[in-house]
Amino acid sequence: MGKPRGTDGALLSSLPWTLTALVFSLAPHVPFIPIWITGAFLCCAGWRYVIEKQRRALPGTWIRAVLALGCFLGVLATYGGISGVGPGSALLAIMAALKLLETRKRRDQFVLLFLSIFLVMSSLLREQYLWSLPYMLLCILVVMTAWLRMSAGESQTARQSFATGSRLLMYAAPLAIVMWVFFPRISTPFWAVPIDTSRATSGLSDTMSPGDISELSMSDEVAFRVSFDDAIPEPRDRYWRGLVLTRFNGRTWSGREPGISRFARDQIEVIGERVDYNITLEPTRQQWIFALDIPYTWSLSKTFMGPQQQLARSIPVDQRISYSATSYTDYRVQTDLSRQYRIWYSDLPEGSNPRTAELAREMRAAAGSDRAFVNAVLDKLNQEEYYYTLEPPPLGSNPVDRFLFETRRGFCEHYASAFSVMMRSVGIPTRIVLGYHGGELNPMGGHLTVRQSDAHAWTEIWIAGLGWHRVDPTAAVAPERIEMSASDAAFDGISAAWGFAAPSRLLHQMALTWDALNTKWNEWILGYGPDTQNSFMQWLGMNEPSWRKMLLTLVGLVIGIIMLLSVMMMIRYRPPARDAAALQYQRFVKKTGLNPQTGETPRVFALRVQASGSIPSSAIETVTEAYMVARYGPGGDAAVERLKQAVQAIA
Amino acid sequence: MSSIPWPFPNPRGLVSSVKARANKRVQSWARKRQGTDPNTTTLGSGRVYILPTGVGVLFGLMVFAMLLGSMNYNNNLSFVLTFFLIGLGFVAMHQCQRNLVGLELTFAGADSVFAGQSIRFRVAVTNQSKSARYGIRLYAPGTESDVHDLQPGESKVFILPVPTDKRGRISLERFGVRTLFPFELFRSWAWLHMNINGLVYPTPADTAPPPPATMVAHGHRQHDARGEEDFAGLRKYQEGDSPRHVAWKAYARTGQLLSKQFAGADTSSQWFDFNEIASLDVETRLSILTRWIVDADRTLEDYGLRLPGAEFAPAHGEKHRRQCLETLALFDGGTS
Repeated sequence: MGKPRGTDGALLSSLPWTLTALVFSLAPHVPFIPIWITGAFLCCAGWRYVIEKQRRALPGTWIRAVLALGCFLGVLATYGGISGVGPGSALLAIMAALKLLETRKRRDQFVLLFLSIFLVMSSLLREQYLWSLPYMLLCILVVMTAWLRMSAGESQTARQSFATGSRLLMYAAPLAIVMWVFFPRISTPFWAVPIDTSRATSGLSDTMSPGDISELSMSDEVAFRVSFDDAIPEPRDRYWRGLVLTRFNGRTWSGREPGISRFARDQIEVIGERVDYNITLEPTRQQWIFALDIPYTWSLSKTFMGPQQQLARSIPVDQRISYSATSYTDYRVQTDLSRQYRIWYSDLPEGSNPRTAELAREMRAAAGSDRAFVNAVLDKLNQEEYYYTLEPPPLGSNPVDRFLFETRRGFCEHYASAFSVMMRSVGIPTRIVLGYHGGELNPMGGHLTVRQSDAHAWTEIWIAGLGWHRVDPTAAVAPERIEMSASDAAFDGISAAWGFAAPSRLLHQMALTWDALNTKWNEWILGYGPDTQNSFMQWLGMNEPSWRKMLLTLVGLVIGIIMLLSVMMMIRYRPPARDAAALQYQRFVKKTGLNPQTGETPRVFALRVQASGSIPSSAIETVTEAYMVARYGPGGDAAVERLKQAVQAIA
Repeated sequence: MSSIPWPFPNPRGLVSSVKARANKRVQSWARKRQGTDPNTTTLGSGRVYILPTGVGVLFGLMVFAMLLGSMNYNNNLSFVLTFFLIGLGFVAMHQCQRNLVGLELTFAGADSVFAGQSIRFRVAVTNQSKSARYGIRLYAPGTESDVHDLQPGESKVFILPVPTDKRGRISLERFGVRTLFPFELFRSWAWLHMNINGLVYPTPADTAPPPPATMVAHGHRQHDARGEEDFAGLRKYQEGDSPRHVAWKAYARTGQLLSKQFAGADTSSQWFDFNEIASLDVETRLSILTRWIVDADRTLEDYGLRLPGAEFAPAHGEKHRRQCLETLALFDGGTS
C-alpha cells in the first residue's frame, strides 16, 4: 500500500494522445455497452487528465480496488457473465479506465495502448461495415502516434510523431495487403464461436405454423445479395430456394434436418438456359444455403444437397459468406416418384381440418382431373374474397379450416399451407418450400438485394410426367406482390403519402448507390473466405491452390517487400553526396595511415603527417594546398583534378 | 542494462546469469569480428545488431492471439488489423536498425578527474544522413548517456560518465550505442572498441600533514598608497606566517586557520617531496602530495614536486598543476 505520490506532469506530452486513442477505439462500442461504462470511462479519463495537469496525487490503492470490484460486479450484473464480445468489450473499457488511474510512468501507457488495440479488434468482431475499415486504420494511426509520443524524446513534436506514424503505417500497408490476400483461410473454427445473443438472429425458422413469417416480413434487413454473371432472371423466376417442409401435424409444417442425398441432384433434369451468379449471404446461424430455384452446381465447401433439392452446409453460417452457383429456371425434378413416396408426400393427420378436406374432395370430383383441380383451387383463391395481409387474425385449433372459411386473411404461409392441405387431401404429393422471392434490382451494381421482407413460402406439387412443379398460391391472391417487391411497394406508398416524389427518388438513388458499394464490399472483402480465396488464387494463375502454396507465396512476397522497404530506408538515410574534393582528401588520409582528430584543420594534420615521416613533406604540402583550393577556392573541376593528381602521385 | 517495463518482472537469478554468460560470448565474438575501431567510426549495417524488447515479445504474443482470433471468427477486418500490426512490426524492425546505421561516432576526449569521481568520456555522434535519428543513447557497462535526437547533419556530444576508484589511466574498452525507436518493440545496438582513455589523478587525501616548511625567498615588497599589498587569496596557515595575515574572520566562521596571501608579497616556494613523507605506503603518499598540490594551486603558491625519477621546479599555473598531477597519476616507482 504505497502512499500515493504526486504526478510530475511528465505524461502531459503523451497522455492526451493515449486518451485520444482510447476514445477512438471505444467509440464504436458505445451503442452496445451500458451507458454507465462509457460514463465511468470518460470520468476516469477526465480525472486522470486533471491530475496530470495540476500535478496532483493519483487515487490510493483502496479507492482503485473498490472501483475495480464495483465495476466488475456491475458488468457481471448487466450481462450475467463475462464471455462473449459484449461483456468482453465492457471489461476492456473498464480495465482501460482503471488502468488510467494508476498510470504514473510513461511506459505504463503500453498497457493502455494494448487495451485500445483489443478494443478495436472486438469492435470489428461485432460489426464490419463499409466505414469500419477506414475507421480502423484511423484508430491504428492514432494508437501508433500515441505510442511514438510515449517513447519520444523531448525534442520531438506531436506533429513529427504523427508524420512518423503515418509513414510507418504506409510502409506497413503493402505487407498487410499481401498477407491478407495470401494468408490461407480456414473454414472450421478452432473453438466454438460464442453467439452474440444481444442481437436478434434473422433468418427463416425450420418449421412453419402460419404466423411465423409475419415478423420477418417487416424486417428490412438484408438476407443476401446476388450478382449475376450475365442476364438477370425475370422477376417471376426469382424464387430463392431454402428449405423444404414435408410433414404436417395439423398445425405446423416441418422438414428434415439438413442432410445429404446421393440421388437428389441426379433427379434434376435441366432444360433451359443456365444462370450463373454469386451470392453473399449474411450470417443466419443456420445451415441452409439459399440458391435460385433450382440449384445445379455451387462452389461452397461442406455444402450438400438434401433429398428435396435443398442446400445445406455442415456448419452453420456464422459469418457472412460468399459463393457462386449455377441454377436452371427451367427444369424437371424427379419425374418418377415411387408409390410409397406418393403416399408419404400426401400424408395428413387424421381428422384435422375436416372442412378443408371435404371441400377438396368435392372440388376434385367436380374438376375431373388433377390439373383441373389445381386450377380450380387457384381460381377459388383468386376470385373469392381472400385478402393478403401481413397482420392476419389468430387462427384456432384447425387453422386451415378457420383460414379458408372464416378469416380469409393471411400471407404466403397461410395460402401455401391451405393449398397444400387441399392437395394432400386428394392424394396429390405436395411439399412446401421456404425461401425468398424477388429481390430489389440495384441498377448501379447490377445486382439484386434480397431482404428479410422478401421471405416467402410456396408449394411444389408432384404431377406424373412433370415431376415436382412449383405452384405459388399467394400469386393467385395478390399478383402485385409477386410482380413487385414488398420494399418497392412500401417506398412508393411513403412518397405518395408525403407528396414529394422527387427528393425521395433522390434518396432512393443514394440508397441504391450505397447498397451497390456495400455489395462489392461484402462480396470481395468481408466474404473473402476459403472458397473465394481459392477461386481468386486460381484466377491469379495458381494451380490447385493449397494452404502450403499460399503460405509459400505469402512468405516470398513478404520477403520481397521487406527487401524493397530496406532499400527505401537506405535511400532515406543515405548520406548527402560528398563533394569530390573531400573524397580525394579522404584517399590521401587513408594513405597517411593517420586519423584526423576532430577540430584538426588540414594544415595541422599536415604537420602531424610530416612529423610521422611516412610521406615526403613536399607531397603533403602539395596535397594540402590543392585540397584547400579545390574545397574552398573558386578553382572548380580543374582544381579537383589537380588535387586528384597530387594524391595519386603519392605512392 | 535493459529495464523491461511492467508487467514483466525483471528476470533475475538463473536467467540473468545465463544471459550474462551469453552476452559475454557474443561480445567477445563481436570484438574479434570487428577488431579495434578507429576513433572516428561510421556504423556499417553489418555491425548493428537487433533483438526484440520485452514489449516487443508481448506485442508479438498479442498479435499472435489476434491472428488466432481472426482465423477462428474468419473475420476479414480483424485480419486486416492483425496484418497491419504484423506489418508495422516488420517496418519497426527495419526502422530501428536504420536509425543507427550510418551514424558517425568520434571520441572527443575526457577531462581528467580525481579517483572516486566519475570521468566523463565525450563521444560526438554525427547524423550524416538526410533524415533525423531519434532516441539515440550511448552506454557502457554500468553507465549510460542521456537520450538525444539528431536532426539531419547534426552532431551532438554524448557524455558517458564512468565511475573511477583508482588513479592511473582508465580506458573504456567497449561502449555501445543503441536505440529503441520507433515503438520500443526492438532494441538495436552496436558495440564499439575505440582507443578511449582518460587520466585519473590520485584522490586528494582528506587528512594530510601540513606541507613542509616554506622556504621564503624575501622579495621586494611593493606597497600601494595605503601601505597594503593586493590581496590575492587564502591558503592554509603555516608555521611562520605572520599573525597579521591570518584571516580571523574566516577562522571564526570555519574554525580553520587561513593566511591571507598578497600579490607582490614574499614568494614562498615549497618542495613537495615524495621521499620526505615518511613511513606511509605509496598510494597514501601520492594522495597527500595531491592534496598539497591542490591546496597550493588554490592559494596560488609556487610549489615544486620531487618524485623518484621526476622533478618539477617550483611554479604555479594550470599547466604546472596538470603536469604534476599527471605524473602522480602515472607514478609507478617508489619501490624500484
